[in-house]
Amino acid sequence: MIAYASIWTCASWRSGVAEVAPLLSVRDLRVGFRTERGVVRAVDGVSFDLEVGSTLGIVGESGSGKSVTAKTLMNLLPSYADVSGSITFDGRDVRAMARSRERHFWGVEMTMVFQDPMTSLNPVKRIGQQIGECLTVHLGRSRSEARAEALDLLDRVGIPEPAKRLRQYPHELSGGLRQRVVIAMALACGPRLLIADEPTTALDVTVQKHILDLLDDLRRERGMSMILITHDLGVVKGRADDIMVMYGGRTMEQADTATLFGEMRHPYTEALLETIPRIDAPSHSRLVPIPGKPPDPIDVPPGCPFAPRCRACTDACLVDQPALHAHGSTHLCACHAPVGTPEGAAARSTNVAAGRTPAGLDLAVFAGAQDRPGDDASPDVSSRSGGPDDSGPVS
Amino acid sequence: MGFLARRLAALLAVLLTVTALAFGSLNVLGDPLFNVVGFVASVDCDAVLAGEIQDVSGQTAGGRGDCEVIEAARREHRLDRSLPVRYGYWLGDIVRGDLGTSFKNEMPVRQVIGEKLPKTLLLMLVAEVFGLAIAVPWAVAAAYRANRAFDRVSTVGSFGLLAIPNFAMGIILFYFFVVRWQVFPSRFEDTDLLARLKSLVLPGLTLGLPLAATYQRVLRTDLITTLQEDFVQMARAKGMTDRWIMFRHVLRPSLFSLVTVFGLTTAGLIGGALVVEQIFSIPGLGRAVVEAVIRDDFPIVLGSVVVIATGFVVINFAVDVLYSFIDPRVRRDA
Amino acid sequence: MTPDPSGTDSGSLTKPEEAFASASAPRARRRLGFGFWLSVAWMAVVVVLAVLAPWLPIADPDETGFGGRLDAPGWAAWFGTDTNGRDMFARTIWGARVSLTVGFIAILNGLVIGGFLGLVAGYFRGPVDRIISFGFFALLSFPGLVLALLIIASLGSSLLVVSMTLGILSIAPVGRLARATTLSFAEREFVHASRVLGATHTRIMVRELLPNVLIPMSALALLGMALAIVAEGGLAFLGLSVSDGFSWGKMILLGSAPRTLRDGPWVALVPIGAMFLTVLALNYAGDRLRQYLDVRELAFGGG
Repeated sequence: MIAYASIWTCASWRSGVAEVAPLLSVRDLRVGFRTERGVVRAVDGVSFDLEVGSTLGIVGESGSGKSVTAKTLMNLLPSYADVSGSITFDGRDVRAMARSRERHFWGVEMTMVFQDPMTSLNPVKRIGQQIGECLTVHLGRSRSEARAEALDLLDRVGIPEPAKRLRQYPHELSGGLRQRVVIAMALACGPRLLIADEPTTALDVTVQKHILDLLDDLRRERGMSMILITHDLGVVKGRADDIMVMYGGRTMEQADTATLFGEMRHPYTEALLETIPRIDAPSHSRLVPIPGKPPDPIDVPPGCPFAPRCRACTDACLVDQPALHAHGSTHLCACHAPVGTPEGAAARSTNVAAGRTPAGLDLAVFAGAQDRPGDDASPDVSSRSGGPDDSGPVS
Repeated sequence: MGFLARRLAALLAVLLTVTALAFGSLNVLGDPLFNVVGFVASVDCDAVLAGEIQDVSGQTAGGRGDCEVIEAARREHRLDRSLPVRYGYWLGDIVRGDLGTSFKNEMPVRQVIGEKLPKTLLLMLVAEVFGLAIAVPWAVAAAYRANRAFDRVSTVGSFGLLAIPNFAMGIILFYFFVVRWQVFPSRFEDTDLLARLKSLVLPGLTLGLPLAATYQRVLRTDLITTLQEDFVQMARAKGMTDRWIMFRHVLRPSLFSLVTVFGLTTAGLIGGALVVEQIFSIPGLGRAVVEAVIRDDFPIVLGSVVVIATGFVVINFAVDVLYSFIDPRVRRDA
Repeated sequence: MTPDPSGTDSGSLTKPEEAFASASAPRARRRLGFGFWLSVAWMAVVVVLAVLAPWLPIADPDETGFGGRLDAPGWAAWFGTDTNGRDMFARTIWGARVSLTVGFIAILNGLVIGGFLGLVAGYFRGPVDRIISFGFFALLSFPGLVLALLIIASLGSSLLVVSMTLGILSIAPVGRLARATTLSFAEREFVHASRVLGATHTRIMVRELLPNVLIPMSALALLGMALAIVAEGGLAFLGLSVSDGFSWGKMILLGSAPRTLRDGPWVALVPIGAMFLTVLALNYAGDRLRQYLDVRELAFGGG
């Protein structure tokens, strides 16, 4: 199938850069859920590597498959999930460990922090118990040792009066503190990989920065790798080494951060960037959403999953699922008409001339995008000129 | 505290109402004199005094035996006074611990009840232990694989179990384990604690199995709800085993409905004990009450009703107290 | 926090498994189901047999010479015979007459009185409601069997007394349901409209509220009947039930002597089986009906 190309591409993706094998290696991961309405293809061929000590940002909207990817890594899928593909952590086959019910891997080597700290913590158990549990069960610590270490952890994550907190219940702490507690829990056994699934979405804006900074510090301090999952490109901009953009269960674009922001290729990535409200925009500027809604994961239409919402959609996009092509040694993009390429420009101008895309999307909804000043993110000039571009051939 | 005080007041009101009803019905619908002296009341004392007939005690005309008893009873129990007044005096007696005297063997009711009550209580305890001991693992197993084969089968099973009336269950168990296979004794053996417990296994199961079915259904539902909570996922992410999570994280927050149902059914267990004691020949309070009803031994009936009603009220109140501990919101609601 | 670009709530699909798994839930409850109709069929069979008993070509239930003593079930006597040589099949059918009658009168009693009290309490509220509710509370707070014992001790144990006693026991649960339903309906527009049009209280209660209250009560009625049959069985077993005639409970009592159990277990097991199936059918049908009606209620805007 089409996926083969992406596998080979990915395999050679990193080989030129690192001499050390990546800590985590995912190849052609596919996750489907068997439901009454059919099979939900939540993850449809995702591959990536994660180096020791680096951070990977996985970006996408709801339904893109990013959380399911994380849960697959953490062995948190329900029984009606079908998984194929390979996951290798430090040379070990993670899926085989899941099948053999390996007890001291998750929570020890690989841990996860979830979105809502209030519901992640057991409301009827004290904080100290919930942290200590990791230590006693996985590391065999005694109660007093566990307590001392828990104190240390709480202190390290910046919680004031840690001794008092140990005896408190989750509802007695504020949201930010709770999330710190959850992070402390995740770090208790010294993991080498921390997965953070929307760690700040449920928190106040001011607290968000602190939590993200904390994660950064901890990562550097411990040489930990991190996967940061979010729908917000702004969150990963300064904090991830590499970014993977997902949509409809597939990878749309993968690159290191600088390249992604500087030379993005995928129209979806471009659209995501446009949705970030800008401080320097004039007041009352309209926010730019991405029109349409995520694809139905059961009745997957052929072709590119983003086609119905893409302003650069071509006829080929509707029938032919694009494979990941390399646009540089570390830059992959799955698109027939990428941003900043002749094909991309041609596709856009065709659509602008017709007033709509082959998928039936009316280009009038993009009117707002044309008024945005000084956009440094997108190199594609044609859609920013303020009017239909007649210079390209109409196809 | 206001909540508990009000509940207590309400329950006491119930207690008073029930005892009043019991006292009233037995005295109004029956012959009050009969309630006190039994069959002797049927003697026509006027005729005896006139020397026309012999009285029941076999004394010759002119003998005062039974009629003296009747007169004495009339005075002592103030049968010439009105019903509410008599009720008041009776209540006074009760509070002082005097529950009257049985017709059958002239024993004080208090003594009779005192002998029989512990056995009934032990039976109820055994039944509850069975009920919980069976229900908890059953519910955990069903909730763990909710809606799969085991769970479906056990739902049907509990339905079936609950459809069997307790006396039928008792007979079936009796038939198989006493008559056919002779594993358990057919009469209650009162020698030592072990023998008593052994005799209570079958009756305990008879009452305990339907209890277990009810408890299991309720607990299973709550467990399944709790299992959907995010912190369960978090615990799995921490690498805790399913068994650890089930027993150390999920079980405790899921006990609410179970406690409620526990309170409701425990009180109902008293009724079940009546039947079970008959089948297995346990000399407990239930059996005593039934026999007393058949024999028209009203003091025993009345006294037992008082004891049972009090027990009922106590259990209900204890459940309320327990509930307010578990759920602080209950305490706050004024 | 930057807005989620898709414009949809980011939380809904972070747990895809729940979202998809719930798709099947409502379908199962929309029909009454095979089990329901099977239960109804069984009840119909039992009722028909019981009603037509005097005219059916079966043996006389009291005839002691029908078969030998404790004949095992076979061609001559489908359910065997009891210690007096009486045909168990015939006895089971005749026993059904008493058991079903008691169950029916009891629940009818409960529905009429309990329903009436609940309706009144829910409609008028205030002190009337408080008194009636306290009455329900008192009735519920006491072990039923003991209360039944009391009444029977005072009044004897004819069919009527037993049925009425069990009826009294069902007043409280029925009444509470009626009250709750009435409370939820009494605030609705059509009741207000009636009052504005000048309808009397009685008219409102009978015309507007009663039909709506009857719906959930019908499910409870089935469950209540099952309970009444079991309760009667319990009383009979204790020797306290219907003195004229015999019910299934009495048959079970007669069959439960250890000797009889050993030599002819069917004498007890047959009536147990009949009672079990009947109670199971009533329980199941009542439960399914309740679920079915709940779903309908929700569809119409909830109560």
